[in-house]
Amino acid sequence: MTVKPAGYQAVTLSEERTGDFETKLMRINVGPQHPSTHGVLRLVVDLDGERIARISPVIGYLHTGFEKTMEHRTYQQVVTYSNRMDYVHSFGHDLAYVLSAEQLMAARVPERAQRIRVILTELNRIASHLVFFGTGILDMGALTLFFYTMREREQLLDIFESVTGVRMNFGYFRVGGLYQDVPESFEHDVRAFIRSFPKMLDQYSALFAKNDIFVNRTTGVGVIPAERALEDGLTGPSLRASGVPLDFRKAQPYSGYEDYDFDVPVSTAGDAHARFEVRFQEMRESLKIVEQALDRLEPGPVRDPDRRISLPPRSELETSMEAVIFHFKLVTEGFHPPRGSAYVATESARGELGYYLVSDGGSMPYRVKVRVPSLVNLQSLESACVGGLFADMVVNIATMDPVMGDVDK
Amino acid sequence: MTTEGAAAPLGPLSERVVEALGALGGRLEREPFEVRVVLPARVIVDAVRTARAAGFDLLSDVFAIDWLRYPGHQGPRFSVDYNLYSIEHGERLFLRVDVDEDEPVPSITGAWKAATFLEREVYDMFGLRFSGHPDLRKIHTPEDLEGHPLRKDFPLGETPTLFNDGRFLDPAAFRAGMIGASGGLTGWVGGARKGVVAEQVDPAPAAPRPGATRGDEGER
Repeated sequence: MTVKPAGYQAVTLSEERTGDFETKLMRINVGPQHPSTHGVLRLVVDLDGERIARISPVIGYLHTGFEKTMEHRTYQQVVTYSNRMDYVHSFGHDLAYVLSAEQLMAARVPERAQRIRVILTELNRIASHLVFFGTGILDMGALTLFFYTMREREQLLDIFESVTGVRMNFGYFRVGGLYQDVPESFEHDVRAFIRSFPKMLDQYSALFAKNDIFVNRTTGVGVIPAERALEDGLTGPSLRASGVPLDFRKAQPYSGYEDYDFDVPVSTAGDAHARFEVRFQEMRESLKIVEQALDRLEPGPVRDPDRRISLPPRSELETSMEAVIFHFKLVTEGFHPPRGSAYVATESARGELGYYLVSDGGSMPYRVKVRVPSLVNLQSLESACVGGLFADMVVNIATMDPVMGDVDK
Repeated sequence: MTTEGAAAPLGPLSERVVEALGALGGRLEREPFEVRVVLPARVIVDAVRTARAAGFDLLSDVFAIDWLRYPGHQGPRFSVDYNLYSIEHGERLFLRVDVDEDEPVPSITGAWKAATFLEREVYDMFGLRFSGHPDLRKIHTPEDLEGHPLRKDFPLGETPTLFNDGRFLDPAAFRAGMIGASGGLTGWVGGARKGVVAEQVDPAPAAPRPGATRGDEGER
């Protein structure tokens, strides 16, 4: 018996079922409110016994219309919205947006700002992967690691709080630089994290990487071959777990990533275990980048001195009429990039992330298209799940690491 | 779409592909930061196949732009853009087709499965139809939302909305509620919050049915 719904390949039922019996697929609804779906992801799953015959994600529960809103905000204001999409890797979204806007404006970002951006983005990548590990393994029934990873993430969130004032939705990057310089305690805090974190990674490794239950639970589960991954548009750590070494930090370096010495972990297995492993290695690489960037962090300005983009210093406002005019223009109206479009691909914790901006010469973007990794990556769920056990679906969702804000925009 | 300053560099792979696409009627546009080939809509599937066979192995994105309010824009109202990337060569190429509102675009899902969600998104947000798409349904917005939000003539905060459960959102009443001029949807009028139930200006909206969510996908 074959089933041919629109949009999916025909599924042949397993052999023991062809005979005199007539069998039907069982349709099961998962979510949208379900802990293993990491937010509000709904899946309509057709089961052939214990095996998945078809899986269809239903999304949009978190659709917020960010793109439309951004079209009605000035370029500087958009930073408030960009980080709310992927709330787990917020700095990644902020960075992707400001890079595109800076390309349009031809802004020159000071070196110190670039380094701080890289440090924060990489620390945030670690924090994001920590959430991935904690919740991913939680989904498989292991509770302990969640507390471990949340403990380390707390340390990172404290650093972010000391820098930006908030623990989520930072909005700290600006087109042309940063909102302000980092506090004095920043270097000390980050150094303390760099010292303590490798030991924690070893602990995690002892907790799960050498754990038979975990290894057996993930090895060979949800295998996505490289061709299949490219067909589905998969990017990020999940693609690298399938053996394609694409990392935009290496492929098209931005924000000075070409200065840092780091490796891109790749695995060829393509299964859930490889997706865990690649992200685990990535945390060590991110730490390397943070350390190098911190070593090279020199004092200096953190904003493009160009008055077309950046507000004048507060002290000048009392003495210079010109500064007041620039301040007024920037606050009430914002700046006007020349007509054209820009796209900078960045490597978020989930994959290729870029903002395609179209400028019509006005002070608000004419069109903002966010290339979100989670939405496109979600298409690979079918490749990973179909033919596998229903219980493995949870593992597959966890290792795809979708953030629903990033999926629904 | 002016091209001021230097144009983006044309890599060796892009050069070959642009030449091959020229045979399909493609026109090269070089902007400061992107290389783009504008194609007639009917050849887009062939064009994507050509580019993919030549070495553009990642379909990053499919998206549309509504040019309705773009100053000085001439030609069809919409464009659909395809964002391709070559992992081996590190080159990026944009393909574009210009289409009018009721003109269907051939779906490239047959040539590249990654476009499935992306074309659905364009359909949902812009109302452009993709002919040959296996599963062209809305993806982000609720089933009962009429219109396509990213169109430039889609009013912001001005949409009368009728929900599944019979609740009706009238823009004027909603705005009045927002500024405290009437009880609006929440029954709250500024200054009368603490324990005082404000007088309802509109007939009380029906309470949402518990558990009422979106259209049932199971029926399709």
